[in-house]
Amino acid sequence: MGSFVTSRFITYLLGGISSGIVIALVALSLVIIWKSTHVLNFAQGAMGMFATFVGMNLVFKGTNYWLCVLLSLAVGLALGGVTERLLIRPLYGKPEINPIVVMVGFLGVLESAIPSIWHTNLLPVPTPFSQIYYQDHGHTILVSPFVIFQVSLALGIMGGVALLFQYTNLGLKMRAAALAPEVSRLLGVRVNRLLTLGWILSSGVGAMAAVIVSSGQSLAATNMDGIFVSAFIAAAVGGLESPVGAITGGLLIGVTESLILGYWSSNMAPLAGVLVLVASLAIRPQGIFTRNSSRRV
Amino acid sequence: MGRLLTLRHAYPTSSRLVGTVVLAVLCVAITFTLTALDDSKLAGGAAIAIVIVGLSWLIGWSGQVSLGNSGFMAIGAYVTAIWANHHASTPIIFTLLLATACGAVGGLILALPSTRLRGPYLAGMTLAFSFAVAPLALNFPSLTGGSGGLFLNFLSAPRWFQGLFSGSQALIRANAQWTADVAIVVAAVAFFFMANLIHSSTGRAMRLVRDNDVAAELAGVNLQRTRTLAFAISAAYAGLGGSLLTLLTGSVTPQTYSLPLSILLLTLMVLGGIGTLSGAIIGGLIYSYSDNLVSLINKATGINPTSTFGANLKGIVFGVLLIATMLLAPRGIVGMGRRLTSMIKRPARES
Amino acid sequence: MIHVEELSVSYGAVRALRNVTMTAPTGKITAVLGTNGAGKTTLLRTISGLVKPTVGTIHCKSTALVGLATDEIARLGIGHVPEGRGVIAEFTIEENLRLGVLASKVNANEGLERQFELFPVLGERRKQYASTLSGGERQMLAMARALIARPQFLLLDEPSLGLAPQVTADMMRMISSLCQHENLTVLLVEQNAKSALRIAHEAVVLHLGSVIASGAAATIGNDSDLRRYYLGMVQ
Repeated sequence: MGSFVTSRFITYLLGGISSGIVIALVALSLVIIWKSTHVLNFAQGAMGMFATFVGMNLVFKGTNYWLCVLLSLAVGLALGGVTERLLIRPLYGKPEINPIVVMVGFLGVLESAIPSIWHTNLLPVPTPFSQIYYQDHGHTILVSPFVIFQVSLALGIMGGVALLFQYTNLGLKMRAAALAPEVSRLLGVRVNRLLTLGWILSSGVGAMAAVIVSSGQSLAATNMDGIFVSAFIAAAVGGLESPVGAITGGLLIGVTESLILGYWSSNMAPLAGVLVLVASLAIRPQGIFTRNSSRRV
Repeated sequence: MGRLLTLRHAYPTSSRLVGTVVLAVLCVAITFTLTALDDSKLAGGAAIAIVIVGLSWLIGWSGQVSLGNSGFMAIGAYVTAIWANHHASTPIIFTLLLATACGAVGGLILALPSTRLRGPYLAGMTLAFSFAVAPLALNFPSLTGGSGGLFLNFLSAPRWFQGLFSGSQALIRANAQWTADVAIVVAAVAFFFMANLIHSSTGRAMRLVRDNDVAAELAGVNLQRTRTLAFAISAAYAGLGGSLLTLLTGSVTPQTYSLPLSILLLTLMVLGGIGTLSGAIIGGLIYSYSDNLVSLINKATGINPTSTFGANLKGIVFGVLLIATMLLAPRGIVGMGRRLTSMIKRPARES
Repeated sequence: MIHVEELSVSYGAVRALRNVTMTAPTGKITAVLGTNGAGKTTLLRTISGLVKPTVGTIHCKSTALVGLATDEIARLGIGHVPEGRGVIAEFTIEENLRLGVLASKVNANEGLERQFELFPVLGERRKQYASTLSGGERQMLAMARALIARPQFLLLDEPSLGLAPQVTADMMRMISSLCQHENLTVLLVEQNAKSALRIAHEAVVLHLGSVIASGAAATIGNDSDLRRYYLGMVQ
């Protein structure tokens, strides 16, 4: 058993799953926004980092880690709502490219604004969980208490979101607003408000992903850039409408990345997403990406 | 966006040629009157204008959103640097053509998985591609110089041109102006081809595919081929622009052609006006003078340019410009200009 | 009652409704008839706020509807079963019904029970996905979903579309009895003029966006010119 767990492959696999879970989390947040407003939020990672900067910088000043996480969450939620109302709402009904471009612009603004508001701090954000990898007979397993925390938090968030959508009235309304906005309006559902709520929720999830990613390393505006690309690919591979597909895609890319890192070279690791994308296109050349419009019967 | 990009007057090719030559000669004449600094700025602007017009073609005319053009610029740039370092005496035009061809090949490769994708999927796919450039460059350092990048000799003016200059800093002025003139001529040629392309049957086929692919197929247009061609052309232009820029600046690193540049390209294109030739030129000019613009803002608002805020101001300004333009004037400067002229021309028709 | 005054609606250059004036009296069924493209659906969509008119007013009791958001209008007690029914295939029957009641003050479980009494078939299959239902069952679901919030007004857009004659007849009977028992004000858009006129009290005939006839259903139904040219009713 010991040597199985520490075999190179399993080590990389475990490492890949833990990083894949974070990618899956971001992918999930992208799917939420896509399903509700048909916008691909290119600024998702940068928005999450902004929230993280606000909250997690205070850890350096001695504030309790958990309070900082909550603060980051709050900022993330608020930012999502504000962004939808100010930047996205005016664009409903316009060509689909417009919100994409606006979000790309927002990405640019955030990534330039962040370093100008906060001084660069190369210290890693301290976390209450040890980041020392477990050892087994002198071999390193790519799992630490912090990794366990990361994975648990991510799974918890995913579970919470799933429960919200499947079992609550609010979730039902949100699903309806996304699937059939006109019919929902005719039934008295405040669709616009729910679309804003979708953005709020998604942004909160994105902020939590950014917090996870940034804990234990230094805060930089670009922390989430690579993850965003992987998360987008994960969501797309699963079909932008499917949360389960997005999560699976995220895990797949995380594992691929880890294997590339281990068996090939660390330089090529960012290409994992591209590889998975091309591979999935090869398997289903007609496109996994055909958008199925919801059926109204 | 579709409503702007209908065909306006189609001048015959000969008059288009004359017009281009006249414009190019005019621009070259202007470079004689400018300082060396302005000349080098214009040169950069011309190179960027070439990339913008290629991107504008892809997004505006063929309706495919791509965020990967910085990647094709990188291909052109690296090919140029590698070639120039090994074969220093090739004439510029050969290097430029080589880079253009490599860009086109890159475009064909990216088109393979991409042309079936629409909208956001396509945008993400091309974004992923542009992210692949740096890892590839870093992984083959013997070829690409790794993270330090590659350096090459500046473009320098030939003897006969240098002879036109005298006085202080004659060599610097000569070189700067030579680069500007070369860039302008190359841009003129590139724009000429683009103008012809837009008005050709290929251009019409592309617009048809953009607006109504079902109708296009019924009319016998091969969707895949048309879209792939659009990618290849756009990538070729980006490769050319990247090559030119490398010759101007004398270096290329993995960080030069990355996400901020893609965003900047998008901003300049939207600001100028998507799908318009004049918009691309305006975009290039804004690029040339973007630093001037930012220092103007610094002066007006009293921001210290060396503070971290000042250093990042450019990114903030351009990001905000992109958002504002998209929300308020999505057809850019050229679009606003057209709306103004049409309002002036037909006041009687307004009810 | 619902009163429409001088309503004009354009889709770009196309005039879909021209100066339409009509009244749907309280507690009665008013049939809105006419051939394809007459503007019947546009009328209902404008009342529900999905379409903005260029001129004209719509009053429901004493409230002006023009300018209100669609969901606000729905919450005023105006139910609308759209063309094509709008049943959400990805939801179960129960989820579809729940959606109908969430925006109202009606208790969800009570509402469900009442609709299952009215439509026992829906009750039997409450956990099944709406995609598994037949055309007639979907129509039932769409009606139940509109009724569950206890609206005072009901806009029905071509409910007989795609249904077999017997099913249509049953459905019309049910609409008629519901109208009586719940004192509903019903606007019934139909191309199948015959079955609509059987249960309607009043009728309005539209042609190319204009009202060409209105009055008691029996009068409209007996007019041979109307029957032949505008109602598609063979002698």
